[in-house]
Amino acid sequence: MKVYLGVDVGSVTTKIAGLDENDELVTHTYLPTQGKPIEMTQLGLKQIKQQLPEDVDICGVATTGSARYLAGVIIGADLVKNEITSHAVATLQYTPQVQTIIEIGGQDSKIIIIRDGIITDFGMNTVCAAGTGSFLDHQAARLDMNIEEFSQRALDSSTSVRIAGRCTVFAESDMIHKQQMGHRIEDIVYGLCQALVRNYLNNVGLGKDIKPPIVFQGGVAFNQGIVKALQEELDAEIIVLPHHEVMGAIGVALLAHEEMVNNNNGSKFRGFGISEVKYHTSSFECKACPNQCEIAQLSLDGQVLARWGGRCDRWERSPSS
Amino acid sequence: MIKIGIPRALLYYQYYPMWQTFFEELGAEVVVSPPTTQTVLSEGSSRVVAETCLPTKVFLGHVLSLVKKCDYIFIPAIRSVKSKTYNCSKFLGLPDMTKAVIPESPPILDIDIDVNKGKHELYQAIYKLGRRFTWNPFRVRRASIAAWQANLNYQQLLCNHSLTPPQAIERILDTPGVEPKTHSEYPIPMQATIAIIGHPYLLYDEHINYRLIHRLKQAQNKVLTPEMLTTEELESATARLVGRAKWTCEEEVVGAGGHYLRSGADGVIGITAFGCGPDSLMMDIVQRQAQTMTTPFMSLTLDEHTAEAGIVTRLEAFLDMIYRKKRKRICV
Repeated sequence: MKVYLGVDVGSVTTKIAGLDENDELVTHTYLPTQGKPIEMTQLGLKQIKQQLPEDVDICGVATTGSARYLAGVIIGADLVKNEITSHAVATLQYTPQVQTIIEIGGQDSKIIIIRDGIITDFGMNTVCAAGTGSFLDHQAARLDMNIEEFSQRALDSSTSVRIAGRCTVFAESDMIHKQQMGHRIEDIVYGLCQALVRNYLNNVGLGKDIKPPIVFQGGVAFNQGIVKALQEELDAEIIVLPHHEVMGAIGVALLAHEEMVNNNNGSKFRGFGISEVKYHTSSFECKACPNQCEIAQLSLDGQVLARWGGRCDRWERSPSS
Repeated sequence: MIKIGIPRALLYYQYYPMWQTFFEELGAEVVVSPPTTQTVLSEGSSRVVAETCLPTKVFLGHVLSLVKKCDYIFIPAIRSVKSKTYNCSKFLGLPDMTKAVIPESPPILDIDIDVNKGKHELYQAIYKLGRRFTWNPFRVRRASIAAWQANLNYQQLLCNHSLTPPQAIERILDTPGVEPKTHSEYPIPMQATIAIIGHPYLLYDEHINYRLIHRLKQAQNKVLTPEMLTTEELESATARLVGRAKWTCEEEVVGAGGHYLRSGADGVIGITAFGCGPDSLMMDIVQRQAQTMTTPFMSLTLDEHTAEAGIVTRLEAFLDMIYRKKRKRICV
């Protein structure tokens, strides 16, 4: 059985998807990154291996997500792609007529505008992570409920409570104030969902031509409250695809397939054995110039596999050398 | 010999050859601060309130790196270089601001350039600056004519030879051992033509923009910049978009953006500094124009906290978008 793997190592979650030759999803996994991208990539691969038959042949691997270069070196990726392209490619595979993709992940959010199957515009949130998954997680924890319950209770809201969503610091104090005033928790939770949606549309979605069909994906798409708020704000149907949380991984697996078909030199995949070895990371400050770049390096058995973080090419090493 | 320090920031990229010629003709030696580094930026930032824009912080960092290396620092207050256009207040108050926040700075040589006040005032201002070096008004006159000629030659190099300001300055100085980078150093088959628009102090300071031009070229793209356009091209595009320019640097943003969106580029990238007032207006005009056109446009905002990953991901996505679009067009 031939399989193409896509690995999406994000700041909050790590996703791996495996596609067969007909681009059907045969396996996928979704893990919290917990600040350990290397270990979670290894663990994810281990789980994928267990889900696949013995005679599997990995024909191509590609990585995406904020740790895409790191994951690419560990796995031996044939292709390293940014998240925007990966998400768009995956969504176009399932909904070819899509015109807008809304993606809200753990630490970042994006909007991708598509016309006639081509990306024509995109936007990403800036340094500020207001209105992303981590904030929702944090607020759910503060209200002492898990995120599933949070999602459910948002739907039970009868009247919405207006909460400032411009900045999460203000949103939190606003929420506490509303709690102290005696508003129902359901209404506050839904008010928060609305605030996040407003914030998203006014920041990431600013000046973008949002047209249906609109596909919503990323981990936050699990949250029914946000889906409902988006639907109300945009006054359009919001499509949430099955496996929306692993779309980035699916997209990059599709790209791996495309890449291997176009230039068939055999995959650089280092094998499932990499789940068992111990990678070592370290960092140092470069003293060559006053920039004092912090160089991170990844090594295996005392041999340096890759270095990055410099402002010049001094320490850059490609995965192949 | 008197040593004049010139910070490698802000208007350096536009006028350095002119300034250098002027001072050298008057018998002074010119010292330029080294390229921006993290140290330059952090030292500059440490002197001002957080709200100050990134280019100003970089400028002050450069002034600090010239302390004790020269007898004077040249900081012009360029108010207006064209009738009825005005510059950002940061530029107007630059000499005074520097004096206030860097008291240990060598004495500042300043000059008010405001063409709205007429030719006479302008000549007076230049003479006043020149008088610090000589009492002979004819010598000052000679120096300013030579300086203006140097400026014209520089503009010529930028426009006709498609050089970036740092390359053109290198060529003028003829720095031994530093060959200006040409396209041939990068892979030959070009994937796409990308125009970058914005102020020279953002486009050519490799430290604050994370080597944007280098990254674009390395990814096999031809890079176009505002300086490669003629004044007529810039002015006509500006006129089409906003009528008469109101800001001193409007052409390099609105004019270049308007021109490249219409022709010559597969994609346009606008670079702005976070919190820049004039840019927030000018880049918005370009953005609005882009929405009515088919050429993709992306704006990148730079500040001290800009993460390299943020720039890289956006750049990769933008280029991918253009390549995939081109490929699809070829297939169909």
